[in-house]
Amino acid sequence: MKIKDTPIDLNKAILQKGPKFRSHTVIFQNNVADLKPTMSSLAFCLVYIVVGLFLLALAAIVYHNKKQLDFTLFLGGVGIAILTFGITLVMPFVKQVTFDKNTGSYKNNIDRKVKLENIISLQILNKMVTSKHGLSYPCYELNMLTKNGRRINVLNHNDIDQLLSDAEKLAEFLSVELIDLRHEIIL
Amino acid sequence: MKTLNRYLIGIFLTILSFGAFAAEEEPSSFSALLTGVSSGVDTFFNDYLGWFVNLIFYSLPVAGTKFPLIVGWLFIAAIIFTFYFGFVQFRRSGLALGIVSGKYSDPNAKEDGEVSHFQALTTALSGTVGLGNIAGVGVAVAIGGPGATFWMIMCGLLGMASKFFECTLGVKYRTILPSGAVSGGPMYYLRDAMAERGFGGLGKVLAIGFALMCILGSFGGGNMFQANQAHAMLTYAFDVPPEYGIITGVVLAALVFSVIVGGMPSIASVTEKVVPYMAALYLGMGIIVILMNLDQIGAAFSAIFEGAFTGAGVVGGVLGALIQGLKRATFSNEAGIGSAAIAHSAVKTKEPITEGLVATLEPFIDTVVICTMTALVITIAGLNVAPFDGAGLTGVQLTAASFSDSVGIFKYFLALAVIMFAFSTMISWSYYGLKAWTYLFGEGKSMEMIFKLIFCMFVIVGATIQFGAVIDFSDAAIFAMSIFNIIGLYFLMPIVKEELASFVARVKSGEIKKYK
Repeated sequence: MKIKDTPIDLNKAILQKGPKFRSHTVIFQNNVADLKPTMSSLAFCLVYIVVGLFLLALAAIVYHNKKQLDFTLFLGGVGIAILTFGITLVMPFVKQVTFDKNTGSYKNNIDRKVKLENIISLQILNKMVTSKHGLSYPCYELNMLTKNGRRINVLNHNDIDQLLSDAEKLAEFLSVELIDLRHEIIL
Repeated sequence: MKTLNRYLIGIFLTILSFGAFAAEEEPSSFSALLTGVSSGVDTFFNDYLGWFVNLIFYSLPVAGTKFPLIVGWLFIAAIIFTFYFGFVQFRRSGLALGIVSGKYSDPNAKEDGEVSHFQALTTALSGTVGLGNIAGVGVAVAIGGPGATFWMIMCGLLGMASKFFECTLGVKYRTILPSGAVSGGPMYYLRDAMAERGFGGLGKVLAIGFALMCILGSFGGGNMFQANQAHAMLTYAFDVPPEYGIITGVVLAALVFSVIVGGMPSIASVTEKVVPYMAALYLGMGIIVILMNLDQIGAAFSAIFEGAFTGAGVVGGVLGALIQGLKRATFSNEAGIGSAAIAHSAVKTKEPITEGLVATLEPFIDTVVICTMTALVITIAGLNVAPFDGAGLTGVQLTAASFSDSVGIFKYFLALAVIMFAFSTMISWSYYGLKAWTYLFGEGKSMEMIFKLIFCMFVIVGATIQFGAVIDFSDAAIFAMSIFNIIGLYFLMPIVKEELASFVARVKSGEIKKYK
């Protein structure tokens, strides 16, 4: 089978959206660089879990006190939906993302493992998260490029100072070049 | 900041726990406490903000009834814009549909993050279907009789020109703030476009006035009214006591808090994705009810037309029906208010006029199609009978009762849809309000946080209140925005006329290519 040569557009953001806060920081310990979720990002995700659990508890109270099945089901259904949503939000935050020099690999529990020796560069990109009925704000990605042309997102958040600092340290840790591909965005 | 966030979450959780505990342990004292709070807040609104409501709805006696000047202000503006732009909403409707269907978009030049035209349409649809179509129509026909529907339709058709006008300006004069955020809307076009026309001083005053009213509007119609009607729907569908609105308010406020304070895009994205389905669900329920009662459609339309020109059973007769129709249609489609211009300014386009043309579809779908459908369902159900003085069922409860009159289970779907609509509208209005707030006070985490916290607090207040003052205030704040917006629009008419002529000429000459 002939493999097509498809050029990689390094300026193109991997993810369309991103949070309007610092979601992760990179922590270096011995030979390992870990992506740690920030407390505030976890706390905001927990709001959904708490609201979901509260509605489920309320459903139980309503059923216990009034035996009102329709309202119980309504509250329970909405509660489960919000709880599930909260759990799916928290999951990416609690998944371990590491660059481990001891094992020589990068793992994020989403993509397949990448050998550190195959990482050729890190790149910083900017994008504008726009929404007609919501906030519009700049957001930044730190992506890595591998020898075989894969691009994998490492960081994706709104705090450029922290992202720049993390990117520089990570590039030094991995001994790869850091390319700043931020550009003016014309709407 | 992080510590502050954690404290705030702690406070919310404490209130949540208190609500659940109190509801279980001491229902009578809890009810009394909540009724007292509700009454106190309503009295406050009445005593301290009643003058504002009276000022905005200042009325003149016309043909034996009180005619609010603000209603005439919006209606006359829509008529003038319709004539000035050469009936753009009708003559250029083909162009608008062509833009939405992607006829003028190069399929190979799709930019990063650019939304497809189908997405643009579904966004527009989901943005227009809301409590205005459900609760607003319920209020209009409860007070204005079936005839109010006719005037709503008229207002929708004319309002298309207002929306075209303001949304074009919104895109043309948007700006990029130091943070990189895109900001647009009447604040910016009133300031910048008016300066271009040589009325810089007046423009600044109008922009500040608009921003102030937009902030109040975001607390009122964009927030308290939504929370209030969401709980009213729960009261109707599940017999939840009205005084437990505080629990609905706290739950909604916690979710709004996570979006607007936390900046989580995920829930906003989920809401954006779910709301079109809710809109489809609402439309589907309406169509089912109408199909089940096909034999009554003729009679319903007769009642609408007769009511429009006789005003039978309506306080104020024809004029009374007209006032209610125009008020509720404006509240629903927001044409002339200026809020839509804020929303549309974030769109990715190089041609402001295309956004203006696409925006004309919103009042049509919102008011002409969906509000008419709701009014038909209510008229068919026959629960709304003369005299139309609002003493019986009104608002969301009248609409819900009319839907469930044909299919009982619809009230549950409606409850879900109403809560989703209320939530998405609150998120949208928090954004409008924040844009106005940052226009007045500048960008800054602390100042923005103050607005966001006040906004969340108003969600709880809105859901808690059971009386009329909050609804009156909600109305007044939204309508007040139109005063400043429309004064400016009169000065800016030539700018958009020129823009439209240029766009149409380029389409005709082939400079703007057709791809389909």
